[in-house]
Amino acid sequence: MIEVSGLTKIYGSHAAVDHINFTVNDGEIVGFLGPNGAGKTTTMNMMTGFISSTEGSVKINGFDILDEPEQAKKQLGYLPDVPPLYGDMRVTEYLDFVCDIKGVPKAKRPEMLKYIMETVKITDHSHRIVKNLSKGYRQRVGLAQAMVGFPKVLILDEPTVGLDPKQIIEMRDVIRALGKRHTVILSSHILGEVSAVCDRIIIINKGKIVADAPAERLTEGTGHTNQLVRVDCTREKAEETIKNIPLIKEYSINEKDGELEISLSGEEDIRAAVSKAFAKADIPVLMLKPAALTLEEIFLKIISGESPEITVGAENKTTAEKTEEQAEKATEEETEK
Amino acid sequence: MISIYKKELWSYFTTFTGYAFLGFFVLITGYFFAAQNLASYSANYNDVLVSTMIMFLILVPVLTMRSFAEESRQKTDQLLLTSPVSINAVVIGKFLAAVTLYLIGILITAIFPLILSKYGNVDTSATVCCFIGYFLMGSCLISVGIYISVLTDNQIVAAAGTFCVLFLLLMMDNIASSAPITRKASLVFAAVIAVAIAGTVYTGTKSLAASGIFALLGAAVIGLCYIIKPELFDGLIINSLGWLSVLSRFENFYLGVFGISDVVYYMTFSGVFLFLTANSIEKRRWS
Repeated sequence: MIEVSGLTKIYGSHAAVDHINFTVNDGEIVGFLGPNGAGKTTTMNMMTGFISSTEGSVKINGFDILDEPEQAKKQLGYLPDVPPLYGDMRVTEYLDFVCDIKGVPKAKRPEMLKYIMETVKITDHSHRIVKNLSKGYRQRVGLAQAMVGFPKVLILDEPTVGLDPKQIIEMRDVIRALGKRHTVILSSHILGEVSAVCDRIIIINKGKIVADAPAERLTEGTGHTNQLVRVDCTREKAEETIKNIPLIKEYSINEKDGELEISLSGEEDIRAAVSKAFAKADIPVLMLKPAALTLEEIFLKIISGESPEITVGAENKTTAEKTEEQAEKATEEETEK
Repeated sequence: MISIYKKELWSYFTTFTGYAFLGFFVLITGYFFAAQNLASYSANYNDVLVSTMIMFLILVPVLTMRSFAEESRQKTDQLLLTSPVSINAVVIGKFLAAVTLYLIGILITAIFPLILSKYGNVDTSATVCCFIGYFLMGSCLISVGIYISVLTDNQIVAAAGTFCVLFLLLMMDNIASSAPITRKASLVFAAVIAVAIAGTVYTGTKSLAASGIFALLGAAVIGLCYIIKPELFDGLIINSLGWLSVLSRFENFYLGVFGISDVVYYMTFSGVFLFLTANSIEKRRWS
C-alpha cells in the first residue's frame, strides 16, 4: 500500500509537483498518465526516495520514505526512466550485485534470478555484457533489477519507451503478470499504453492531479461516441445518410482504396443509430470501430466537465505531441494483429 | 557497504583502471628504488617513499575519477539511492575499495625494502613507521579525489579537478613559506577565514541571521585574541597552513616518529572529506 499525501517539489519558484494526494492499495496496477514535463518522473523519484520532497509525505506499507528510508526502500523496486545499469557487467553479475545491495540471502538467489529472468525473457542473454545489449533488452534487465527481492511495490517509469511494438506488447504482458504478485505503478504519456494494463489511471498535468479514476471510466463513453466507419458507396450518398442521423454532431470523410472512411462523433452512444441508418439506406458497412482516443481528447473531455464522476482539477489542457499519437496508433494496430 | 566495496573492487579489476594504477605505481616506485637505493648505495627506503609522492598527482585521480562521476553519468546512482543501503555505506564502501587497491600497491612495493634488508642495514621500525604514514597520507588524498568526483558527472573534469587540488595540497608548504608574516597580513587572513565560514553557513542555511552571528563571533574571537595575545598573529598564515599541510605531517613519520596526533590528523582529514562527500550527495537530493 502506498499513501501519498500533500507531496510537493519546488525547484526555485517553479512547483514541479504541487500537493499531490493519492493512495494505491495492494494488488492494484495504477497508471500515471501525463504529458512530458507533467511531473511524473519527479513524483516517482520522490516516492522512491531518490530525491526528497519539499513538502508532504510518502508511506510505503506504512514506512515513511524520509523517516525510515531503509525499511521503506526494502518494499520497493524501481525502474527509473533510464535503466540504472553498469555497462561493464554481465547480466548475471549485475543482477547478483542488485541482490547484494538489496540484501537477498545467497541461498534464495539462484531460484529467484531464474524466475525473474524467465519472466522478463532475458535467460538467453544472461551472459552478455550489459553495454552490448539492445535498448529493449536493457529495459528488460532494468525491470529484472526492480523485481529482485520480490518487493511488494514496483514503480516503473515509462517502462515501454523506446521499445518496438512487439517488445511493447511483451512488456505489457510482463507487467500484467507482475500485477498478480506486486502493487504496480507505471507512468506513461501514452493513453493506450496505460489503459491496456492498468486498473486505475491517475492523470497528472503541470504537477497536479487532474483525474483519478478506474481505467474504463476514462475510456468509456468517448469510445462509443466516436466511431470510424467504412462504407462502400458514393460520397454524396454517404453524406446524405449521415445528415439524416440526428445524433451525429461532426463528421469527416476520406476516400481510401475506393472505399469511404468516415469518422463520426456525437454526444452519446451513436453505434446503433449509425448502423441502422446505413442499413436503411442499403449501404454495406464494411467496418465500424471506436475511434482511437488520445490523451489530448481525454484532457479536453475532463476539462470541459463531461465526466462529472471523475475527480476534476481546474487545469488547462495540454496538447499531446503528434508523434506520441502516432506511436499510440502504431501500438494499437499491432495489438489488433 | 560490503556489497558496494566488492563491486568497486571488482570493477577496478575488470576495467583497465586497477591494472594501470598498480602497474604505474610499481613502475615509478621501482624506478626511484633503483635510482635512490641501488644506484647510490643507500639503505634508506624512506627517501624513496618521499620521492614517489609526486606520482599521487596522477595516480589518485586515476583511482577516484570514476567513483561517483560515472555513477551519476550512467544514472546508476538512482539504483544505489533507492536501494536499502545508506549513503554513508556507499561512500565508505567506495573509499575502502580505492584504499584497498592502494594498499595492494604498497604491499607489492614492500618487497623493495625487504630486498634492501638482505644486503644492508634497513632501520625496520623507521621504515614501517614511514609506510604507515605513507598509507595514511595516500588515503587522505584518495578521500579528496572521491569528494571531487561527487561534484561532477564528468570523469575528465573530476580527474583534472583532483589533480589541481592535490597539487595545491602538496605545494601548500611552499606556498605558505612565501606568505607574509606581519600581524596585519595575519589579521586579514583571519578575517577572510571568518567571512568564508559565515558564507558557508549562509549557503548551508540560507539564513542571514545565522551567518551574521557567525561573522560577529569570528570578529569577536579575532579581536579578543589580538588584544590578549597579539604574538599569536606573528606568522599566523605560515603556522596555520603548516598545521593543515598534509605533507608536513608526514615528516614525523619519515623520521620514524610515530605520533598519535598525526594519525588522528590523517584519519580526521579523510573523515571530513568522506563526510563532505556524503553531504553533497544528500544535498543534491534536497535541492
